[in-house]
Amino acid sequence: MAIATAPRGGYLERPRPSGLADVIDVILDKGLVIDAYVRVSLVGIELLTIDARIVIASVDTYLRFAEAVNRLDIAHDDTTESLPELVESMTSGGASSKAKGAIEGVKDALTGGDDDDDDSGGRSRSRSRASSRSRSASSSSGSRSGSSSSGSRSRSRKKSS
Amino acid sequence: MGALYVYGVGQSSKCGTVSVRGVAGGEVRTVEHGGLAALVTAVEGGPLAAAREVRSHWRVLEEACGGSTVLPVRFGTVMEDEQAVRELLLEPNAERLEHALRELEGRVQLSVKGDYNEEQLMRDVVKGSHAVAKLRERIRTLPGEAGYYDRIRLGELVAGEVGHRRAADTRIALEMLEPVATAVREEELRQPEAAFNLACLVDREQQDAFGREVARLGERLGDRIELRFVGPLPPYSFADVDLDAEAAAWA
Repeated sequence: MAIATAPRGGYLERPRPSGLADVIDVILDKGLVIDAYVRVSLVGIELLTIDARIVIASVDTYLRFAEAVNRLDIAHDDTTESLPELVESMTSGGASSKAKGAIEGVKDALTGGDDDDDDSGGRSRSRSRASSRSRSASSSSGSRSGSSSSGSRSRSRKKSS
Repeated sequence: MGALYVYGVGQSSKCGTVSVRGVAGGEVRTVEHGGLAALVTAVEGGPLAAAREVRSHWRVLEEACGGSTVLPVRFGTVMEDEQAVRELLLEPNAERLEHALRELEGRVQLSVKGDYNEEQLMRDVVKGSHAVAKLRERIRTLPGEAGYYDRIRLGELVAGEVGHRRAADTRIALEMLEPVATAVREEELRQPEAAFNLACLVDREQQDAFGREVARLGERLGDRIELRFVGPLPPYSFADVDLDAEAAAWA
């Protein structure tokens, strides 16, 4: 497996092909910006973009932690004492079980190979749909209550009377 | 109906077919005008699940840019229909888009990121700054809560020192990489341990020479900074054509 960093004692001269976590920021922040007049804005797309960044960024962090923990050479490490603390703080608060689920899900959705499109793609899709549904539902209920504020409601009442 | 998700713009003579599936599992096709082609997929209204679609966006551009140059469009861009893509995107901006495509022709984006080894960075900061070392010593003798404001002050001093180091290390990286790149841009740093994040535009034929220079940079920075060298990517960071907002306003 190609890992981000080169082995000790010499860097790879060749770049490695990108994983989505490596390029998520350029994908979301760069590229031609087409004027808002011309664009059709899809309901919820801004919100979901933020969502994607959070999901991908946290997976990146989990993978880094996992890598960092695996790299520790416990037998020869004089900081061994702090290791149980580190592991404990990672597992407490349900972080480890959550991380596992998130990594599996997002791996399917984001870093899977070309050949996975039918099977795991479908699974991850239902997952992200579920999360997006709850997100957009809460946001739309929020905006609904915002727009039907007391002012507009009383106005419509006056009209009807 | 008939809304189109737009991935990017290339030259129609060079935009081959894209075999990977696009957003929402749809087919990727082109909308052409003059010598330009926009890569699009038909989408229905309603929210797209971005966490999945960002992957489609990435894959489509990755494949499309494999053989020719495509200007990536910002993720999540949808236009009303084929006519809108032609008349509001391609036609009014034809000259600018063609110019940008010529500039980027035969070039790819390579990303060079440096991350500090945090422990070593902190050690260097304490060694290098008398103020930090002194304040740190004082705080160590205080009981937990007592040193709250001192701790904030210490963190502030450390952040300042890290800032100086970032500037110096970015300078080193730029000095080494700029001569072998067509253009280099500093990108935003998103993590506290980040040293630098450079988007480099490089001729396809120059990639080996550039890679050797990255390797030399890695040797020079040693264990202090861990380098990540990723690519080739579509020229996301260099697709900053000023599109014609006036044409849009009149539409």
